[in-house]
Amino acid sequence: MEPARHATEQTLMRELGLDTQNIDRRKRHFTFGPDDVVKLVALRPIVAAHAAELVDVFFDQLVAIDEAKTLLSNHELTDRARTMKREHLLAMVGGTYDASYVEQRLRLGLLYARAGLDTRVFLGAFQALVRSVGVRVMREGGAEAFDRFTSFEKLAFFDVSIILDVLVYERERTIRQQQEAIRELSTPVLQLRNRLLLLPIIGVIDTHRAQLITDGLLRSIRANRARVAVMDVTGVATIDSKVAHHLLQTVSAARLMGAHVIVTGLSSDVAQSLVAIGLDVGRFNTVGDLQGGLEEAERILGFEIVQRQGDHGVRVG
Amino acid sequence: MVPVLKFGDVLVASILAALSDEDLDELRCEVVESVGRFRARGVIIDVTALDVLDSFATRTLRGIAHAAQLRGADTIVVGIQPDVAVAMVQLGLGLEDITTALDVEDGMTLLDERRRSRHGS
Amino acid sequence: MAAEELIPIAHERDIVSARQRGRQLASECGFSTRDQTLIATAISEVARNIVAYAREGHIVLEPIEKPDGRRGISVAAIDRGPGIADVELAMRDGYSTGKSLGLGLPGARRLMDEFEIETAMGKGTTIRMRKWMP
Repeated sequence: MEPARHATEQTLMRELGLDTQNIDRRKRHFTFGPDDVVKLVALRPIVAAHAAELVDVFFDQLVAIDEAKTLLSNHELTDRARTMKREHLLAMVGGTYDASYVEQRLRLGLLYARAGLDTRVFLGAFQALVRSVGVRVMREGGAEAFDRFTSFEKLAFFDVSIILDVLVYERERTIRQQQEAIRELSTPVLQLRNRLLLLPIIGVIDTHRAQLITDGLLRSIRANRARVAVMDVTGVATIDSKVAHHLLQTVSAARLMGAHVIVTGLSSDVAQSLVAIGLDVGRFNTVGDLQGGLEEAERILGFEIVQRQGDHGVRVG
Repeated sequence: MVPVLKFGDVLVASILAALSDEDLDELRCEVVESVGRFRARGVIIDVTALDVLDSFATRTLRGIAHAAQLRGADTIVVGIQPDVAVAMVQLGLGLEDITTALDVEDGMTLLDERRRSRHGS
Repeated sequence: MAAEELIPIAHERDIVSARQRGRQLASECGFSTRDQTLIATAISEVARNIVAYAREGHIVLEPIEKPDGRRGISVAAIDRGPGIADVELAMRDGYSTGKSLGLGLPGARRLMDEFEIETAMGKGTTIRMRKWMP
């Protein structure tokens, strides 16, 4: 299944397993309960009054750090982030900490991920923000100030845990996509001429790569209506019985789709050792080198290569 | 049911959905009967629509091919999809004794080539 | 995640239902189309065995998860048929008693990652197979 190009909050809710049960469990991790909700709501006047300054604290901290350049140089992103941060902050003292609260954090996390914000940078800025809230809460004084701030801290940790999950998830997704792209590049299927494919295979063939090679070949056979494929394994590091088995399966599957596969580049040593293991190398339709393999392919397709005095021509026979 | 169409002396049966035991038996009978009636030289069975070809289906296709062969018609199976081909090979079903081609068009070409080579070109 | 799904197998057409449901569940689990076909084919093989030898039974499909979070699918084929006299023989390629070529069991095993079979003469057979996401 292909990963979506851009995950949405809904996808993330599912992928990160953030159902009501898990959200409650997460709150319990941070010993966040109904008492804390009451205390947070009591902080609303203070936080609302200083909201703008507090958001500035967060973003000033980002400016101070080089890595946050992408986020800040893109004005549209920054404006959106500022607005979201302000909403985020007000929601922290809003009194409702349900699935939609979590979704709001996921949205912010996605924004940061897309801007390439580093986790450490984010944590530094967020910590500065929380500290600033603390300063203002304590300044207002009152017996309950510290108590209320403690509740705020619990929620802050809760928020951080979610945003970190998003950043990590997105980074892993990027890595997976890159790995997939590299794998695809390493198993090219080239169409040489009408109905003839060439697969130059280089490197190590493990089970997963063998699957990729087979899938790529078969889909190309269908897309290009190929009748012959030349699979050159000269560049394959080791050809043991396992690799030979994979290649055989590829050849068999291609035949089911009406295509001949000619394997070239199997040295006679390797061929002999495979025969010694008991593999029917004859089923491979092997030809020593690539040139020979291509000629064999063209023969099968009904073309003739005619060599005229000094120059090579191709005549349709 | 499976529509069996006639193109010259070639019969084409396009299997549209997973068939039951009875359906496949009926298909075999119809193919054999049609080969006889129309003096068909070739039968093309198109399995493009099948998302699974298990050992049973493969056995049945083989049965149809052999029955048609006995009546003088070559059978070609076409339309095996990539994922299905992979599953069949992993299942150990190589279909070695049955000729395959990519699609109906290629199946026709193959039948022509065979006939030409048989009668000398 | 969805709970397990039970599909009764008594007729030919149930084999098709079972493998379509299997494909659907595999798709929801996130399996590639290639793996979906492998799973559907394995289901077809064991379901057909039920129809051919036990006349009726059922297929149980279930999404599963490893402790490390890796997801997979579990397929169980359960019947109260005559049982398999010699399992080792049945699991050998090419073994056949009835009309079948006997490719059912070893074939299904090759398509899946895990395969277990429990059988008792006169009592029935339970086959459990699992495939995991790469």
